[in-house]
Amino acid sequence: MTVLAVKKRNSKTATLLLLVGAAYCLLPVIWVLIASSKSASELFSTFTLAPSSHLFDNLADLSGYRDGLYWRWMANTALYAGVGAAVSTLVSAMSGFALAKFEFPGKGFVFNVILAGVLVPGVILAIPQYLLLAKLGLTNTYWAVLLPSFISPYGIYLARIFAAAAVPTEILEASRIDGAGAWRTFVRVVMPMMRTGLVTVFLFQFVAIWNNFMLPYIMLGDDKLYPLTVGLNGLLNQGASQPSMYTAVVTGALVSIVPLIALFLTLQRYWQVDLAAGGVKA
Amino acid sequence: MFKKIAPVLATLTAAALFTSACSSSDDKADDSATSNEKVALTYWSWAPNMDKVVEGWNSTHPNIQVTVNKQDGGDPAVTKLLTAIKAGSGAPDVMQAEYQKIPTLVSADALADIAKEAGSLKDKFPAAAWNSVTLGSDAVYGVPQDSGPLMFFYRSDVFDKNGLAAPKTWDDYAAAAEKIHKANPKQYIGTFSASDAGLFTGLAQQAGASWWGVNGDSWTVNINEPATQKVAAYWGGLVEKGVVDNKPMYTPEWNAALNDGSQVGWVSAVWAPGVLEGSAKDTKGKWKAATMPQWDAASPATGNWGGSATSVTTQSKHPKQAAEFVAWLNSDPAALKLLAGTANVYPAANDTTTILTTPPAFFADQADFYTIAADAAKATKPFTYGPNVNVAYSAFNDAFGKAAESKKAAAFTESLATVQKATVDDMKNSGFTVAG
Amino acid sequence: MSLTTPAPSPTIAAARPAAAKKARQASRRAGVPYAFLAPGLLLFTLFLAAPIVYAGYLSLRKVKVSGLGLGAKSRTEVWAGFSNYVRSMTDPEFLPSVYRILGYGLIVVPTMLGLALLMALLLDANRTRPWIGSFTRIAIFLPYAVPAVVASLLWGFLYLPRVSPITDVLEAFGLTAPELLSSSWVLWAVANVAIWGGTGFNMIVIYTALKAVPTSLYESARIDGASELAIAWRIKIPIVMPSLVMTFVFSLIATLQVFAEPMTLKPLSNTISFTWTPLMKVYRDAFVRNDIYSAAATSVVIALATFLLSFGFLKLVGRRAFNQED
Repeated sequence: MTVLAVKKRNSKTATLLLLVGAAYCLLPVIWVLIASSKSASELFSTFTLAPSSHLFDNLADLSGYRDGLYWRWMANTALYAGVGAAVSTLVSAMSGFALAKFEFPGKGFVFNVILAGVLVPGVILAIPQYLLLAKLGLTNTYWAVLLPSFISPYGIYLARIFAAAAVPTEILEASRIDGAGAWRTFVRVVMPMMRTGLVTVFLFQFVAIWNNFMLPYIMLGDDKLYPLTVGLNGLLNQGASQPSMYTAVVTGALVSIVPLIALFLTLQRYWQVDLAAGGVKA
Repeated sequence: MFKKIAPVLATLTAAALFTSACSSSDDKADDSATSNEKVALTYWSWAPNMDKVVEGWNSTHPNIQVTVNKQDGGDPAVTKLLTAIKAGSGAPDVMQAEYQKIPTLVSADALADIAKEAGSLKDKFPAAAWNSVTLGSDAVYGVPQDSGPLMFFYRSDVFDKNGLAAPKTWDDYAAAAEKIHKANPKQYIGTFSASDAGLFTGLAQQAGASWWGVNGDSWTVNINEPATQKVAAYWGGLVEKGVVDNKPMYTPEWNAALNDGSQVGWVSAVWAPGVLEGSAKDTKGKWKAATMPQWDAASPATGNWGGSATSVTTQSKHPKQAAEFVAWLNSDPAALKLLAGTANVYPAANDTTTILTTPPAFFADQADFYTIAADAAKATKPFTYGPNVNVAYSAFNDAFGKAAESKKAAAFTESLATVQKATVDDMKNSGFTVAG
Repeated sequence: MSLTTPAPSPTIAAARPAAAKKARQASRRAGVPYAFLAPGLLLFTLFLAAPIVYAGYLSLRKVKVSGLGLGAKSRTEVWAGFSNYVRSMTDPEFLPSVYRILGYGLIVVPTMLGLALLMALLLDANRTRPWIGSFTRIAIFLPYAVPAVVASLLWGFLYLPRVSPITDVLEAFGLTAPELLSSSWVLWAVANVAIWGGTGFNMIVIYTALKAVPTSLYESARIDGASELAIAWRIKIPIVMPSLVMTFVFSLIATLQVFAEPMTLKPLSNTISFTWTPLMKVYRDAFVRNDIYSAAATSVVIALATFLLSFGFLKLVGRRAFNQED
């Protein structure tokens, strides 16, 4: 057998393995796509992978649920994730920049404390955060979900890597000689240089907030403020005397992942994170 | 750069303050409420369409406007309420509370005593329901809203085919279980669901158990007692024989089983038609309702599964108006009609029998549906809940989950000791005086 | 080497025979990093540090009930010493949940990272077919977009024999499908949801590191007749080692914190108890049993354990990853 033939066979095996991996990852997505095309009784009676024709009926039912509450959840989620991630990115950029580009007393301590913050699970924070925000009278408001999401230790950690890699010290020196203020330098010079990295930080935090369940679950009592995860969970667990709304949940689950898939496809090139070597290759 | 950031922070702070100033819970309190004062109340409930029921109040009471916040069911609502009580703010004015949660809520000082406003309603409710909102004291911690007397629901087509009638006793039920499963190994008369502690409690209640009790200044806990042991052994035996399924209810699988006719019976409560209609719409017309199978056919008894009261919370700034609303909601004939018709609950009030005359849509052919329900409600045995029902229920979940998985009857009865111990230990740890 | 700017300390600056203006500038400059850190630190203090300190405080408190506990004000909060810690550590369900999470971690972390590495290497080797490459890359990354709650729900449907297509397919071949949520499989079933959700992200991290390697590095090896496997083993994997270390640490943290997946799958089976993982026990104590004090004590123990494990591991590999730009 020639070397070339071996190579060809190898490449075929590689392609096959990749496709198997893709199929495994797509299986539940395909299932939810098919399931959301079924009527309530078909969902539990027809062959699981046999599609039906009720997708639009289900979407209409979902939209009709309590005067379009589902879409309100969608809008809330977009608000929480969008605003939360934007502010969090700015905060992370500032902190990451300071940690990467300045020497100052206490730097090591601050960085280590923030790193330790990465390790704290949200479930543990939920109750103390609730009690704290209740003291400020902010529970059951948009702020209850937004404020805690403004801080992301992981975002700061990433921003520090990106700042260290993308912002050459010489440029800072040059702009300092020009007499530009530190803030102006940050906005005009540093942020544009870190742009790719900051988009990644934004996406990370966006996905994290979009997928968050515990914090809004505890903080919110009014379901008009719910994000999708909490809303869908509510449709599923209605308590013993109510039937679970499986069709709505399945259709809602499908619709809920569409925006994130769109985001991934459009911003694909930013999902190239090198956690270790320090940088984003665009 | 501070100059640049300071305004941002200032705006944030201002916005935060602004929001808190506007949140309704901080409205200036004024207990000397005159009838002309306009008040806004929030009401947490998980019953469907409760907002439509409340419209009936809002349109006739312009000065007391109630907003419904739909909750995800009894457990999450109680969790949130207790956290809000701990935090000192964030609780609604009015709250739907399941009967078994009332001692817990009272113990956490979450429910206001509305004896002055609602005490006179006593005669409008069955004694058992009223007792669960007073806890045997002079205080009134809510007004009963709905009750959930246990009934038996079955697929009459399958029962007919097997030459079976609705089981009168638990022995009949066991025989029917065996016959149905033998005739078609895919079919079960029901399932033992370890995730529904509420149902098991109701079954124990039917057998004569009362898990908690008050003896002077101390609590008693009697979970591992003869009546409950009898129930646990009975279901354990059926599961071990394999004639009753061991999977939890309210899962996609259970829904499928209701749809394809492999679950042909359901020990449930008066609200079952709504669940069946939502879960297995196409089986409409095939189901029938009956009274519960009995331990002693001579003295019919039943238990409760579900049912709740409406309470005023201790954080309400307008307890008087809130109590007025609560009283209307659960005793005014117009409200009862709305509750039964729109919110799909079985009102606890005595007047219900005169209101509910036509059977629920899913049981349209069974004219005597509500007669059976009313008889069941009357036959409900007394039962006292304790201040840590959730501890007992979660211990039940875990212990009976394991037992159901093992399919050993002995494991079922042994699990009761685990539940009893977890419950007593928790009470002792909190400093309750527990006898026995 | 370091690229950071040494900020002159104010005292040295003042000692210099320079103009006072320059000294003021310097001291203002010394404040610059703190100013940049201020919003981050403020938020960190408010929403992370303060709650953690508060949790620590709560872990030393407990509620004491007087009498029947039914009257108003019958509950008082008192100091508990370490009794909450003793209780949570001696809970018979605690150790099993720790062992379970360790077993779970032993399944999830190596499988997920192994798959991620394999897929990244395949993608890298498969650069000649960009269409398949980008399709699989997106497909494998896609689960990252699905919230854990929704992912567990979808897999839950696929696990339950009566509604699962897996059963249908296996039965068509005359096989009996395993009950994936029965006690012998449930650990794998939960692990699968995590592996499904996490492989794509880790794959991207490793793939990015691979792409940064100039192809010229392999060419000479190829000319020498090295197989693709040998190149992967001897050249590529060592190069992505730092990325692997980092993904390992973050996967480890995520593993110890597993919560949403078993919590969502719990009502579907008898096999997942309230104390299935340590974090679920925290949830049960806090939200089901309404005992935030025990929950706080368990939380503190989990946080410390996570901390020790992650930092211990990093120490072991030389902390290279966290400080690579220094």
